[in-house]
Amino acid sequence: MSALPVLLLVSLMSFAIVWIVPGDVASEMAGPTATAEELAQLRDRLGLNKPWPDQLLGWYSALAVGDLGQSILLRQGVGAAILERLPVTLSLTFLALAIALVLGTALGVLAAVRAGQGADRLAMGAALIGFSLPDFWLGLVLMYVLAVQLAWLPTGGFVPFSQDPLGWLRFMVLPAGTLALSQMGLFARMTRAAMLEVLCQDYVRTARAKGMPGWVVIGKHAFRNALIPVVTVAGIASGVLLGGAVVIEQVFSLPGVGRLIIGAIQRRDYPVIQGGLLLTATIFVLVNLAVDLLYAWLDPRIRHGRG
Amino acid sequence: MLTRRDLGLAAGGLVVLPGLARPALAQRAGGNLVMAQQAQPPTLDAQVTTAQAARNISLHLYETLYARDEAGNPVPDLAEGVDISPDGLTYRFALREARFHNGKPMTSADAKASLLRYGRVGGSAFIMQPVDAIDTPDARTVVVRMKAPSPGFIAGISSPRAPCAIMPEEEAGKDANKNEAIGTGPYRFVEYRPDSHVQLTRFGDYVQNRAYQGMDGFAGRKVPNVENITIRFVAEGGARTAGLQAGEMHILEAIAVPAAERLRSDASLKMHEMMPWSFQTLMLNLAQPPMDNPAFRRALQAALDLEEIMAISTDGLYRMTHGWQHPGTTYFAGDAGKQMYNINNKDRAKALLKEANYKGEEIVLLGDSSFKNHNDTIVTAAEQLRGIGINVRVNITDWPTAFSQRTQRSGWHVWALMLGIEPYEGPYGVVGFFSGHAPVQHVRDEVIEDCQRRLTTGLKEEERKQAVVDFQKRMYDEAIAIKCGDVGIVQATRAQVRDYKPYRIPRMWGVSLG
Repeated sequence: MSALPVLLLVSLMSFAIVWIVPGDVASEMAGPTATAEELAQLRDRLGLNKPWPDQLLGWYSALAVGDLGQSILLRQGVGAAILERLPVTLSLTFLALAIALVLGTALGVLAAVRAGQGADRLAMGAALIGFSLPDFWLGLVLMYVLAVQLAWLPTGGFVPFSQDPLGWLRFMVLPAGTLALSQMGLFARMTRAAMLEVLCQDYVRTARAKGMPGWVVIGKHAFRNALIPVVTVAGIASGVLLGGAVVIEQVFSLPGVGRLIIGAIQRRDYPVIQGGLLLTATIFVLVNLAVDLLYAWLDPRIRHGRG
Repeated sequence: MLTRRDLGLAAGGLVVLPGLARPALAQRAGGNLVMAQQAQPPTLDAQVTTAQAARNISLHLYETLYARDEAGNPVPDLAEGVDISPDGLTYRFALREARFHNGKPMTSADAKASLLRYGRVGGSAFIMQPVDAIDTPDARTVVVRMKAPSPGFIAGISSPRAPCAIMPEEEAGKDANKNEAIGTGPYRFVEYRPDSHVQLTRFGDYVQNRAYQGMDGFAGRKVPNVENITIRFVAEGGARTAGLQAGEMHILEAIAVPAAERLRSDASLKMHEMMPWSFQTLMLNLAQPPMDNPAFRRALQAALDLEEIMAISTDGLYRMTHGWQHPGTTYFAGDAGKQMYNINNKDRAKALLKEANYKGEEIVLLGDSSFKNHNDTIVTAAEQLRGIGINVRVNITDWPTAFSQRTQRSGWHVWALMLGIEPYEGPYGVVGFFSGHAPVQHVRDEVIEDCQRRLTTGLKEEERKQAVVDFQKRMYDEAIAIKCGDVGIVQATRAQVRDYKPYRIPRMWGVSLG
């Protein structure tokens, strides 16, 4: 129920921010040496001279019927522009989340099982490095090595999954891998800490005393119970990855929502900025809702209100 | 009638990665050429926008009655020529044979409708203000009648700044950004995928201008050899360079100077240097004290080490020239003001500050981080001015914010701006920037106003040239603005791109893939 006020606040803030920030789309279209007269004519033609209360009323009236408005520069509805790019951003974010979750939790379990040994130190060292490197720098380095020097992957671009699944993978591996590395380190550290706590519990000791094979104890008893904090982090990480996708889309020339919003900010395409921010906030709220539902599935105590 | 026809990727995954890679783009004649540029066009309506990102695309789709040759002079393109009456009031254009991408032959009705549309929505609509009427006595003749002589008219309609593109009459009847991209150019529009690319394909029925032997600026004989062109929007400079090295891109609109230096020895690539491309300036706000005091402005003019500013802001690709027009062009104003250029005399600057009775008022230097040259120019100039005791505050914003700020009479004193297309166009855009109702310096200067009047009404070229000399002298004598120097650019191609000639935009007609 708290989602609605959050989205209302976001819509209001996104409107306010774009109208407070100086500059407008007319200056982008007219160019640096346009005269004040030329700019005024263009602003009038684009409807930018309307008072802000009229613009706010128009924004909420359209939102009430599900219309995010019309992009000034794209000759396209904002909703359609976002929907066209959403698969790129969501596939990048969720591929990165999948890579980070699978590799990060595997590294975390390995480190916990081999706690204090060389493998633990190696895994945690790698996690720390991955967590510390900036995405844009790492992206360019991986691009230079894997695309330019080794010619294994393309430097950028995108093909929809529906059109060519292998092509989609070819274009997405490098950006999703780059985006995943920082969050992989976070998952590895969280999984290790949670696993170490769970491995000391009585039920794990009992399972071992009953003679269960080690992998069953770890996989079935310890790992599932260590997943709760990892799922919490996954919820937060998906938001972080969604934000990180903005940078990665720029570096790898992916036509996603992040690039759409950045371009709109640079060119002051107000309806796209407002619609894009509102949609991003909506996705974040929905992901957090999904995480809450996942808790209940993983831990029955939460489902029965005894958490 | 006077004839002037000559106006002219993870460990497990590594195993499968090589299998995911695609070989470099096919190297064959015809074929598909990929050009990469940083920005995407704000619109594909060629007439409306002055953005370089749009020009790179639209000048492959559209043509103009007159266009600029290799040296930047106006020459016939869709027109065979123009007869200008001795009183300068009548321009009679004879049109050459041309065909639109929709199959329809171009007629004078299309040209008339396009010119009239430009007056309504054009990025430089002011060039149509002196036009009284346009007649079309036959399908191949357009007669433009002026209210008053306007010697800059041909320069205006031939400028690529916001091209006065000729389109079918029915498209010309549409509002700004509402028209379909249909022109007479050597390539026709296929698709625009925002944030990704624009796709063009060779126009099979393109009518070449047989009055020329080869390509000549934006005019000349345009031969579309390559079958398909993809113009990709790649925001990150490092990614564009990587794409060129990997063979995924054939032409880069521009490459960073340090990257060009690093790749110069790579036999698979070619670096094409252009000098001049633009010039770097520091615009001054004369409405904001103490900038209203000429002695204070002269102190800035005397204090700055312009060569240091140019060396830092251009990564070394610059030329120290004082002219507000490029050397070698028709309106280059010789040595006018040269002795006041790059003075770099701190003692003289301090004396001028004393004369100006400067009391340490804060001077705001406005720049933007969207363009590296602007940012570096402001940061370097700020350090130099602090060195002579000026109280400087640096305000670096993004481009739209800086641009919006500069239109205000307060809040800034000095603004960094690189002028590219304007000096290429000739004197009209440059002089016009400092004159009229809203000059960039915010305070009208009567001498510059007079220069502008003489430039735009003088029927003899000598009169117009003298107006530009007087303009340049005034710019230096009164320190209206500071020209720092000429800036170069490096365009880059794969070695298999044949017959590529660097120019204001990467021209993809006339080239072929080897």
